Amino acid sequence: MLWLTWRQFRAQAIVASAALVAVAIALLATGPHLASLFDSNGLATCRVGCGVDASNFINQVKGSGTEVVFYCSVLLVYAVPALIGLFWGAPLVTRELESGTFRLAWNQSVTRTRWIAVKLGLIGLAAMATTGLLSLMISLWSGPLYQAAQKAGGSDELSISRFAPPLFGANGVAPIGYAAFAFVLGVTVGVLLRRLVPAMAITLALFAAVQLLMISAVRPHLIPASSAIEPLSAVTFNGEGETDNGHLLLDLGTINRMPGAWIVNARPVNSAGQLAATVPQPCASMTNTWLQCLASHGVRIQVSYQPTSRYWAFQWLETGTFVSLAAGLGALCYSRVRRLT
Amino acid sequence: MIWLAWRQFRAQSIAAAAVLALLAIVLAATGPHLASLYNGAGLSDCHANCIALAGNFVAQFEGSYIGSLYYLGVVLMYLTPALIGIFWGAPLISRELETGTFRLAWNQSVTRTRWTLTKLGLIGLASVATAGLLSLAISWWASPIDAAFQFGGQYTPVSFIRMSPPIFDARGVVPLGYAAFAFALGVTAGVVLRRTLPAMAVTLVLFAAVQILVPVFIRPNIIPPDQIIAPLIAPSAGLTIRGSQGTTGGVLTVQGDFSKPGAWILSDQSITPAGHVFAVPATQACLGNKGQACMNWIARQHLRQLVTYQPASRFWPLQWIETAFYFALAAVLCALCTWQIRRRNP
Repeated sequence: MLWLTWRQFRAQAIVASAALVAVAIALLATGPHLASLFDSNGLATCRVGCGVDASNFINQVKGSGTEVVFYCSVLLVYAVPALIGLFWGAPLVTRELESGTFRLAWNQSVTRTRWIAVKLGLIGLAAMATTGLLSLMISLWSGPLYQAAQKAGGSDELSISRFAPPLFGANGVAPIGYAAFAFVLGVTVGVLLRRLVPAMAITLALFAAVQLLMISAVRPHLIPASSAIEPLSAVTFNGEGETDNGHLLLDLGTINRMPGAWIVNARPVNSAGQLAATVPQPCASMTNTWLQCLASHGVRIQVSYQPTSRYWAFQWLETGTFVSLAAGLGALCYSRVRRLT
Repeated sequence: MIWLAWRQFRAQSIAAAAVLALLAIVLAATGPHLASLYNGAGLSDCHANCIALAGNFVAQFEGSYIGSLYYLGVVLMYLTPALIGIFWGAPLISRELETGTFRLAWNQSVTRTRWTLTKLGLIGLASVATAGLLSLAISWWASPIDAAFQFGGQYTPVSFIRMSPPIFDARGVVPLGYAAFAFALGVTAGVVLRRTLPAMAVTLVLFAAVQILVPVFIRPNIIPPDQIIAPLIAPSAGLTIRGSQGTTGGVLTVQGDFSKPGAWILSDQSITPAGHVFAVPATQACLGNKGQACMNWIARQHLRQLVTYQPASRFWPLQWIETAFYFALAAVLCALCTWQIRRRNP
């Protein structure tokens, strides 16, 4: 049974290993350069006031080949779970059903439920291990970048944060959860539809939908966000300004006392704590002291945020959510195969 | 023949039509609001101070649902040709071969060559039409944003002008070429490999590789890029000095300002009088951004600025050339797989 599982999975396993080795070579070829840049800018030993060194380092990385490698690796970590769901998950049962081999395979001394449980378990573990290895390699490689971005604070020109949405899912242990979920989703859709190509299409659509839903609706509320009112001098803006009709625009970058925090929501409020939608009349013209003018008229920033210290709590919660979704789908799949005629 | 081709393609075409309809509803519901924001910012008849007005406009939609829709549109334009190749192209012939239905299908009064040509033509046309409709809808919806980015300015990330890679591939007529190519690639992979699943995987990998290689290596050189060499004026507003900060500094480079709205800048370097790229260890005069002292030192180096770029006016020529290139590739692949099917004893 184990031997046959391996034999049927051999081609996929070889492709995955080859891809992992190729990524490892690319990262090993560029990683030491990144680490030495980090050291030569004095960031390894810097304790306080490292903002200038950090933005110097980021400036050197920006526009170079290293930046391209970074964004490609992020795309890869997002793509791999989807590909596992499509190419490992969806064909697992549909291929047996479509080609008729299930008649032979499921009528041996091994029962079909045991068969599906072994396959779900082993290939599911392989999916998690592949994605885990990939995420580990890339997290190690991009460590200097995230550290520097955190130290640079508002002067960070790459403006990357491993806590905020686009990059959160490309780091740490969350990708392992995505891989487990995508794989079992593929198998389940395959068992329900019993046809390969539609199963692959539906798996992709569902997986993308669940990811979007998680980012936009679920993740910000996994732990209730903290809330604070900060003076304008205590935050750094990506951009600020006003529109023709006097509408106040403040695009918050970072909270100075909390580098690396995930800012879920930010809005300007007046001294009474109400939303300050328009620019106070005395500050109508933009000058160098515009922010001071706003501050002297009581404008402050109300932020709801997730502090940096919650990063790992969020990573484990996200992984746990997806692994439990995978377990639920696995149970559904198991009971369907048992009753399948 | 045409009826059977339609019947086999019905599920896919219904799925595509549903997605297009859904998207059209979302875009039609939000497009007018976006256009009114654009007009409200005073950009439609702007003659002076356009960069600041564009910045206002960008700040208004960035971070709202319109910003998310904009990025989603770009991602969708990249995904559609790949999905067409995987789900329409790769299974087209390989499913018939795998399930054995080719024995019945190819031994009727219609020859297998004619059958293949009909399917390639009809479903290929459907692929091109789907990508074209999508591109038309998204280009229409995003036209205020594209126009605002075209002004340049501090709120505009350089990479979002429509001449440069992420946006160029998602606008105009090139998506039609990508769809035709991806579809033909999928069919060919299916004919050569004769198994659906490996054909789908190979199609995805090859298409992704082509999509990365063409913008990086081929597109910048289809039309020879323009060059500007000018003396670098040291105390100028747009001068970017890198590697001068901190206590030790790094490799010092200087980048002059370059403003040609909407141009795709391929490289912007400073060169020494001897013609080498200027990159030296940080000098004492510039460490820690000392301002005037650093500017004086740079002025003494007699640097020149060398910019290589594709001007904005080449957007449509490059679009048509690239589309023709992909259609030619698709035609070659179609010929290849028709010839394979004709010659081969399955």
